[in-house]
Amino acid sequence: MRTFLLSIALFISAVCAAQVPSVKVENSKGEAFDTKALLEEGTPMIISFWSTSCKPCIRELDAVYDALPDWKDEADFRVVAVSTDDSRLLAKAKSFAEGRGWGEDFVLLFDKNQDFMRAMNVSVVPHVFVVDGKGKVVYSHTSYVPGNEVELFDAIKKCLK
Amino acid sequence: MKRYILALCLLACSAAVVAQNKGYLTGSFETNDHFYFDDEKTGAMTGDDRFGSNNYLKLDYYNGKFSAGMQIEGYLPSTVGYPKELSGINLSNLYATWKDDDFSVTAGTFYDQFGSGLLFRSWEDRALGLNNAVMGARFTYNYKDIVAFKALWGLPRFGMGIFTNNTKSPQTVTNTSTQVRGADVSFAISNLVGWTDTYLAVEASALNRFEPVSVDILDEGGKASTFGWSGRANFESHGFFAKAEYVDGGTRYISNPDPKDGDWYLDKRANAQLIEAGYNGRGLGVTLTGRRLEWMKSEIISGNMSTSNMMNYIPAMCTQYTYMLTTHHPYTAQVGSAIGNFVNSGEIGGQIDAFYNFRRGTAIGGKRGMKVHANFSTYYAIAEEGTCKAGNLLFRDFSFDVEKQWTKKFKMVLLYSLQQYNESYGARPEYMTQNIAVADLLYKWTSTFSTRLELQYLQTKEDKKDWMAALLEVSFAPHWSIFGSDMYNHGSSKIHYYNFGVSYAKSRTRVALGYGRYKAGYICSGGVCRVVPAYTGANLSITTSF
Repeated sequence: MRTFLLSIALFISAVCAAQVPSVKVENSKGEAFDTKALLEEGTPMIISFWSTSCKPCIRELDAVYDALPDWKDEADFRVVAVSTDDSRLLAKAKSFAEGRGWGEDFVLLFDKNQDFMRAMNVSVVPHVFVVDGKGKVVYSHTSYVPGNEVELFDAIKKCLK
Repeated sequence: MKRYILALCLLACSAAVVAQNKGYLTGSFETNDHFYFDDEKTGAMTGDDRFGSNNYLKLDYYNGKFSAGMQIEGYLPSTVGYPKELSGINLSNLYATWKDDDFSVTAGTFYDQFGSGLLFRSWEDRALGLNNAVMGARFTYNYKDIVAFKALWGLPRFGMGIFTNNTKSPQTVTNTSTQVRGADVSFAISNLVGWTDTYLAVEASALNRFEPVSVDILDEGGKASTFGWSGRANFESHGFFAKAEYVDGGTRYISNPDPKDGDWYLDKRANAQLIEAGYNGRGLGVTLTGRRLEWMKSEIISGNMSTSNMMNYIPAMCTQYTYMLTTHHPYTAQVGSAIGNFVNSGEIGGQIDAFYNFRRGTAIGGKRGMKVHANFSTYYAIAEEGTCKAGNLLFRDFSFDVEKQWTKKFKMVLLYSLQQYNESYGARPEYMTQNIAVADLLYKWTSTFSTRLELQYLQTKEDKKDWMAALLEVSFAPHWSIFGSDMYNHGSSKIHYYNFGVSYAKSRTRVALGYGRYKAGYICSGGVCRVVPAYTGANLSITTSF
């Protein structure tokens, strides 16, 4: 047991804050997209994991979509919506996002084998992250109830201070 | 315990070796615990143990191009309806990966898929109790953005995984000796020739599956090694897209329901065709899907009836609903079966999905816009093996939903669904019909206090006749949510299926506590379903990540 605990202690002591890992996903055109490319702009971003069968996810992204024009007046940031729908619903997820107008304001990514979801240790959706301009995760939240989006924008504003 | 220490030591050493830049640790923990009660109304019995608990601890370490991770699972015992082979505590996943700019190497467990997964897919779905991660090695290589290649070898997981001693009885097999070896290549023609507005790629996969087979199958010319392949094309230009996939899954050996002259097995050629086409743009999203399947079930362990015994992905290509009354008879894809004197080689069918966003400021959209969606899906048994002739109807669904934000505070979703399903899986030309209507009403009283009300009705002349249901959810952002619901079968059994609970979420942690009566039926996730018996009880769910 002592070895077990020491192993955990050594493991945890050797680490620092979580970042966005490099994972291959798809963009709207079906091309391969490496998630490390998200960091190239150097601006903060909201990364939201969603799926077509997750109603709270859709409510959250709709709330962000509705608030975005006002938020953009105050802060320069991006919203990345990552669909975790698998190959069965991949085409539907793209049509769904278009049918809600998200394509105009969000960066849409499609994680059909859930590689990015696993790498970010997302167990259930919705799950959102706020990442600062250096690629460090500064805020994270699982589940959604109406009003949660206020916390998201607060986290973005803190990144810019 | 030794294997956990070994795994953690491995991770710790990895971390320590590359600790100049320290890297970072990320992980998650999930527990789903049920406490069961006998219920005379539904016939739900608690069995030997009143308790079920599914637990998952996952750890990943990243440092530049290196990553390593592990997962420990504990079923103490597993919750009702979960695959029986999941029991006890075990190290289920362990991997190390080096990912460079143009190549990667993984040793240990990994998840992957070829194309849409019809030929091969390894994935995890905790709702289903499915985790067929491959334990082996994988190599990937990319040449610019033109060629993507990967090759893999390994043992797909069944039960508690490769780190388990396989000493139990055949009924509780805990791992497998089946091996897969495969390769997949994608060639982006458009990137080679420099097209900027159009994407065109051709892809191909090959898969070899090896499983020691029984003497009976060998006597009839069967082989332990089978070979499958697939070819694909993907196209996208100015919002228009099209995708085609052909799969030859190799030979399947099916138990002969009517053996003559010692002909105990039928050898069948697994094959599938998938076409998707549509348009996305200007607020419109339309997807048309067509699919034909024959003998496409690909098992890890031949003949094992567990729902987790699958090595490819054949989901139902129709709407997966989440409202209570819309999920009573979910469709599951027919992958070929021979039962009694009825042999059905598979299914043929398709669906069309259309989404449209009436923008703000338009006559229909009004001040806040309006979203509409329609789906039609229909699937048939294959009337004549090897052809595209449609036989008896298996499933049909037409649904329409409209979503409207009336005011800043009030949002409404209305849904109608007409579902027809064949209980004989296509053996007889008969089907049941049900009409379902749902109203989902959200009202935000303040910026942090909201209520959501669902009202649902199911009308049918068959099965258990009419149902009604209601759900009320009260949310106090950002942390608390309380709900209560009741689903009542007033047409026949007169049973109430009540359910209530509370959840608390803070940062990356969510805790939910509930109590309810659940009807026997299906749990579906990703178009795949498993049967669950009726149960009544309390449940606790905790998810957290770090």
